[in-house]
Amino acid sequence: TLHLKCASEKPPFGGPCSTNTLPLPLSQQKWVVMKIIKHYQEEGQGSEVVQGVLLGLVVEDRLEITNCFPFPQHTEDDADFDEVQYQMEMMRSLRHVNIDHLHVGWYQSTFYGSFVSRALLDSQFSYQHAIEESVVLIYDPIKTAQGSLSLKAYRLTPKLMEICKEKDFSTEGLKKASVGYENMFEEVPIVIRNSHLINVLLWELEDKSTVADKHELLNLSSGSHLEKCLQMLMDRVDEMSQDIVKYNNYSRSLSKQQQQKHQYVQRRQQENAQRQSRGEPPLPEEDLTKLFKPPQAPPRMDSLLIAGQINTYCQTVKEFTSQNLGKLFMAEALQGQGS
Amino acid sequence: MSRFFATGSDSESEESSSAEEITPKATGTAFNKNLLLSDDEEDTKRVVRSAKDKRFEELTNLIKTIRNAMKIRDMAKCLEEFEQLCRAFLKSKAIVDKEGVPPFYIRLLADLEDYLNQLWEDKEGKKKMNKNNAKALSSLRQKIRKYNRDFETEIANYKENPEQSAEEEEEKEEAESGSYSESEDDGEGVTAKSFMKKKPAAEPAPEASKFLKGAADDESESDDDDDDEIWGSDSTDSGSESEDNEGNAASLALAFLKKLRRSKRKERAEEEAEEEGLEQEGGEWEKVKGGVPLVKEKPKMFAKGTEINIPVVVKKLNEILQARGKKGTDRAAQIELLHALAAISEENNLGQGIMVKIKFNIIASLYDYNPNLATFMKPDMWKKCLDCIDELLDILFENSNIFIGENIAEDSESLAVSDQPFRVRGCILTLVERMDEEFTKIMQNTDPHSQEYVDNLKDEGRVCNIIDRLLQYLENKGSTEEVCRVYLRRIMHTYYKFDYKTHRRCMGIQGESKSEQDQEESEGEDSAIIMDRLCKFIYAKDRTDRIRTCAILCHIYHHALHSRWYQARDLMLMSHLQDNIQHADPPVQILYNRTMVQLGICAFRQGMIKDAHNALLDIQSSGRAKELLGQGLLMRNMQERNAEQEKIEKRRQVPFHMHINLELLECVYLVSAMLLEIPYMAAHEFDARRRMISKQFHHQLRVGERQPLLGPPESMREHVVAASKAMKMGDWRTCHSFIINEKMNSKVWDLFPEAQRVREMLVRKIQEESLRTYLFTYSSVYDSISMETLAEMFQLELPTVHSIISKMIINEELMASLDQPTQTVVMHRTEPTSLQNMALQLAEKLGGLVENNERVFDLKQGVYGSYFNRDQKGGYQQKQGYQRDQKGGYQQKQGYRGGYRSQNQSSY
Repeated sequence: TLHLKCASEKPPFGGPCSTNTLPLPLSQQKWVVMKIIKHYQEEGQGSEVVQGVLLGLVVEDRLEITNCFPFPQHTEDDADFDEVQYQMEMMRSLRHVNIDHLHVGWYQSTFYGSFVSRALLDSQFSYQHAIEESVVLIYDPIKTAQGSLSLKAYRLTPKLMEICKEKDFSTEGLKKASVGYENMFEEVPIVIRNSHLINVLLWELEDKSTVADKHELLNLSSGSHLEKCLQMLMDRVDEMSQDIVKYNNYSRSLSKQQQQKHQYVQRRQQENAQRQSRGEPPLPEEDLTKLFKPPQAPPRMDSLLIAGQINTYCQTVKEFTSQNLGKLFMAEALQGQGS
Repeated sequence: MSRFFATGSDSESEESSSAEEITPKATGTAFNKNLLLSDDEEDTKRVVRSAKDKRFEELTNLIKTIRNAMKIRDMAKCLEEFEQLCRAFLKSKAIVDKEGVPPFYIRLLADLEDYLNQLWEDKEGKKKMNKNNAKALSSLRQKIRKYNRDFETEIANYKENPEQSAEEEEEKEEAESGSYSESEDDGEGVTAKSFMKKKPAAEPAPEASKFLKGAADDESESDDDDDDEIWGSDSTDSGSESEDNEGNAASLALAFLKKLRRSKRKERAEEEAEEEGLEQEGGEWEKVKGGVPLVKEKPKMFAKGTEINIPVVVKKLNEILQARGKKGTDRAAQIELLHALAAISEENNLGQGIMVKIKFNIIASLYDYNPNLATFMKPDMWKKCLDCIDELLDILFENSNIFIGENIAEDSESLAVSDQPFRVRGCILTLVERMDEEFTKIMQNTDPHSQEYVDNLKDEGRVCNIIDRLLQYLENKGSTEEVCRVYLRRIMHTYYKFDYKTHRRCMGIQGESKSEQDQEESEGEDSAIIMDRLCKFIYAKDRTDRIRTCAILCHIYHHALHSRWYQARDLMLMSHLQDNIQHADPPVQILYNRTMVQLGICAFRQGMIKDAHNALLDIQSSGRAKELLGQGLLMRNMQERNAEQEKIEKRRQVPFHMHINLELLECVYLVSAMLLEIPYMAAHEFDARRRMISKQFHHQLRVGERQPLLGPPESMREHVVAASKAMKMGDWRTCHSFIINEKMNSKVWDLFPEAQRVREMLVRKIQEESLRTYLFTYSSVYDSISMETLAEMFQLELPTVHSIISKMIINEELMASLDQPTQTVVMHRTEPTSLQNMALQLAEKLGGLVENNERVFDLKQGVYGSYFNRDQKGGYQQKQGYQRDQKGGYQQKQGYRGGYRSQNQSSY
C-alpha cells in the first residue's frame, strides 16, 4: 500500500497561496497546486472541467508529486489530436530539462463536488492498472474561492480494482466483493510542503496582511451555495430513484421467471415419473437456460456511483453547514457584544 | 303501360307487375335484361297499393316458395326463405298489429314445424341428406321453435281445427281479390282456385312470345300495337275480374279506360316517330311500362266528355303516383302533371278533400325531386314547395271539417263532398318537418359569405311563419305528440336568436324613430315567454326523450343567450344532461356543446369567471371546438374518415347563421383562464408539482415565449398573452390596455349585446386579479403595505381592497394581518425561502426513494407487493409461514421417528 504524503505542515491559515512542494532540493514543486489553480482560472469556467497530468516519484512510503501539466483543451476542429502523443512529448521535454517525469496520476477540477462519475472511474482504473501508485487529485475551485483550499486525492480501493478488472458489475459480483459506495474510493491524506524559504515568505505575508484580506472566509451568506448543492443532490436522488425502479422491475421479472422455471421442472418430473411407471423412456433433458432466458440485469455500478456521489454531496453539505453554523454563532456573539 | 288504366283495384296493379316480371325475362339482350330486372324488382315494391295488400302479398310469396322447398326437401332454401319471411313479417308489423296475425302465416308456421319435426324423426332420411341440408335442417328447427313461441296460442288454435282456419283464409283471400292466388302462377299453391288456374296457363305464354317478337323488331310500331292488343285483352280480363270484386267504380273505370284507349292509340302513332329517334332502348322500355308516355300526353289527361268526378281523379292520381320512384320517370313532369290535376279538380269543383290530397302528393313529389339525400332543393322548387304548403294550410284553415292523418287508411278516406267531414290520408307535420330540413340543407349548401345566403335566409321568415301556422292548426287538432314535435320545430327556430326588441325594452331605450315595422315587432310575444311556454309544454307532455332533451338544451341556450345565467345554470344542473349526453345521437350532442359554450359565455358576461372557464374547458381543451360545435370539419387524413363519413358529418353541420363565433369563444376562454391562472401561478411559484388550471392557456404562453422577436400583439391570442405577462408583474394598466382596445373591441367585445357592461366587468376583474398577483409575487419584499397605496395603485376602492386582502388572509393564501388603525397590511413572512422550498422538495424526493427502496426490500423478503399493501400481504406471508411451520412439524415428526428408531436401535 502506498501513502501519499505531500509532505510538510500547512501554513496556519491554509490560504490558496500555499504550494505543494516536495523536500527534494532540485524541484520547483511549489508549482503543483498553483498550476492546477491557474489552469482552472484560465480555462475552466462554470461547470466545465479541466484535467491534467501529475508527475512525481515514490519516496519510501510516500508519493511525492513534484510537477504537473495540463491537458490541452479540446475543440471540435482538432479531433485528430493525439493525447497520448502529446503526453509522451511533454514528458520527454520535461526529462530534457531534468524535471521529474514519472507519471503518477492526474488531476481534475470539479463543480460543486460532482466528480464521482463513470468517466472518472474508468480513467482512474486505467491509470491505476498501468501505474500502481496513481492518484487523482480533485480540485474544487468554488470552495477554494470561498476561502479554504479544497484539494483531495483519491484512489480506487483494491476491491473495486478487482471488480473493474473482471468487469463484473452485477449484483452478485458487487456483493461478493462487498463493495459499497463508501469503500469504492479511498482518500489519501495530502500534505503540502513548501521549501523553507517560501514558508518564511508566507509567514511574513501573513503578518503583513490586514484582516480585510481574510474576510472572504467570514462570508455569512450561504443560501446560494446550499441551494446549488441541494439542486444537484436532488438530481442525483431522482436518478437513484429511477435506478431503483429499474432494478425493482428486474428482480420482479426474474422472480416471476424463476417461478415459471420451477413449475416447468416440476411438470417435467411428474411426467417423467408417469412415463416411468408406464415403462416408457423419460423425456430428454432440455436446456433450461435456453427455454428461460434470464432478463438482462441492470448494471449496478451506476447506482453505486450515484450513491457515492450523493455521499460526497452530503459530506460537502455537512461540512459547509457546520462551518457556517460556527460562523453564524460567532457573528451572533459579535453582534451581542456590539449592542 | 296502358293496362295501368285498368287499375280498378290494387290487386290489378300487382297482377301487372307480376306480369312485368315475366316479360323482360323473355326478351332483350342480356345486359338490358339484367338492368331491367333489377329495376322491375324495385317497381314491384314501389307500386302504390294499400300497405296491407302489399305486405301480405310479400308474405304469401315467400310462404309459397317455402312450401315448394318443403316439397323437394331443400332445407337450405327453406331456411333462407324462412329468414326472409321473418324479416318481411317484422316489416309488416304495423299492419299485423292492426289486422291481427294473418292465418296463412300461422298455418305455415305450424306446418313447417310439424314438417321439420317429421324430418327430424326420420333418422333414415336424415342420414341420406347431404351435409348442407342437414345443417340447415337443424338450424331451421331451432329457429322455428324459438320463433313459434311468440305465436303459441294462434298455432294451438290452428292445430285444433286446421280445416276451419284454412277455409277462412281461402275465403278471405278470395274476398280480398285474387292477388295471392294469382301470383301463385307457377304451380300448386296453397289455395289454387279453379278460375285462377286457367289464367297462369293462358297469360304468360303468349305474352312472352309476343314480347320476344317485340324485341326482335323493337323499332317497329307494330310492337306497340301488339302490345296494346295484349294489354287490351288483358285488361278486359282483369276488368271482368274486378267486376266480380269491385263495385260500380271499377266498371265505370273500365268504360273510361276503353274509350281512352282509342284516343290514345291514335296519338301514339303520331308521336311514335319522333320519340323513337329520341329515346334509347331503355327509354323505350319505360315507355312501354308507362310512366313517361303518360306525361307526354299531359294536356289530355282525361278524355273529352269524361265525367270528371272524385273516383276518376283519385284513380288518375294513383296512376301518376305509380311512376314515382321509378328510374326513368321525369320528376319535373310529374309535378307538372299533379299541378294540372289539381287545376282540373278545382275547375270541376270537386271539393277540398281531393285538393288536399293532391296537394299532399305535390309536396311529396317536390321532395322526391332530388334523388339523394345530400343534394339540396333548387330555389324555384323551394319556392314552389313553400307556396304549396302555404296553400295547403290555407285550405286546412278554411275548412275545419277536413281530417288528415297518417293513420287514415287509403280505403277509408272520404273525399267526396258530403255532410261527412273529409278524411284524407297524409301528414302535414311530416311535410313541414321535411321542409324545415330542406331549408337547413339549403343553408348548409350555400356559401355563407354570398348575397345568395342572405337571400335564402330571408325565407327563414316564411319557414317560421309556416311553422307558426301549423302550430296553431295542430294545437286545435293534433295529438299531443304532434304538438310536441311542432313545438320543437318552433323552438329550434327561436332559441338561437337574440331578442333585441325585448333587450331594448329592458334597457329602457326606446327606438326614437318608431317605424311601423318596429311597432309591429313589439306587438309580438317575447321570445322568452314563447320559449318558456313551448318548453314547459314539452317537459310535461313529451314521451320521447329526444324531443325533451332538445327542448331543454334550447331553453338553456336561450336563457344563456339572454344573460339569464341562474335560470340557465339551474336548468342545466337539474336536467342532469352532463351525465348521459354521451349516449345521445351526434346532432343532440352538437346542440349540447353549443349550449355549454353559450352557457360559458353567459357566465363570463356575468363575471362568473370560474364558471365560464369550467363550462368552456371541455370544448376548448380538445382543440376541436370547430368540429364539436358542428361549425366545420377539421382537416384530417383519409384514414380517420372516409368519404362516406365525411358526407354524414357534413350533413350535421349547423347553418352559418346559427354559428357561435369561435374567436369570441376562444377569447372568452383565454381571458377567463388568464384571470384564474396568473394569480394561481404567482401563489404557487415554488410548488414542486404545480398543476395547471388550463393547459391551453399555458400552451399559448409557451408559444408566446418561443417567439424570437416580440413585436406588438396582432392577433387576439397575442393580445391575451401580452396581457398575461403584464398581469404577472401586477401591471394592471398595461394588461387592461392589451385586453380592451380598438382591435379587441372590434374582434371580440363588440359582439356582445351589452358590450359596455362586459368591458366594465373585465376592467374590474383585471384590477382585482392584478392586485392579488401583485401581493403574491411581491409580498416577500414588503414588511407592510398601506392599503390606501394599494387602492391607488390598482384604482380600486378601499373597501374592495380590504375585502380582497381579507379573503386572501382567510384562505391562507397570504401570510399577513391587517392593522386596522393604520390601514396597513403587515406581512408575517412565514413563506418558506427558496432554500427551504428546495429542502422540502428534496425531502419529498427522498420519501419517494425510500418507498422505492422498500419495494426492493419487500421483493427480497418474498413479498410480492408494494410497501403500502404490506398489511394485506402480511397475512399471506403469515400463511406461508404457517405452512412452513407445518412442514417443519412434519419433518420434526420424521426426525422424531428416526430418533425413535435410533433409540430402538440403540436399546437393542
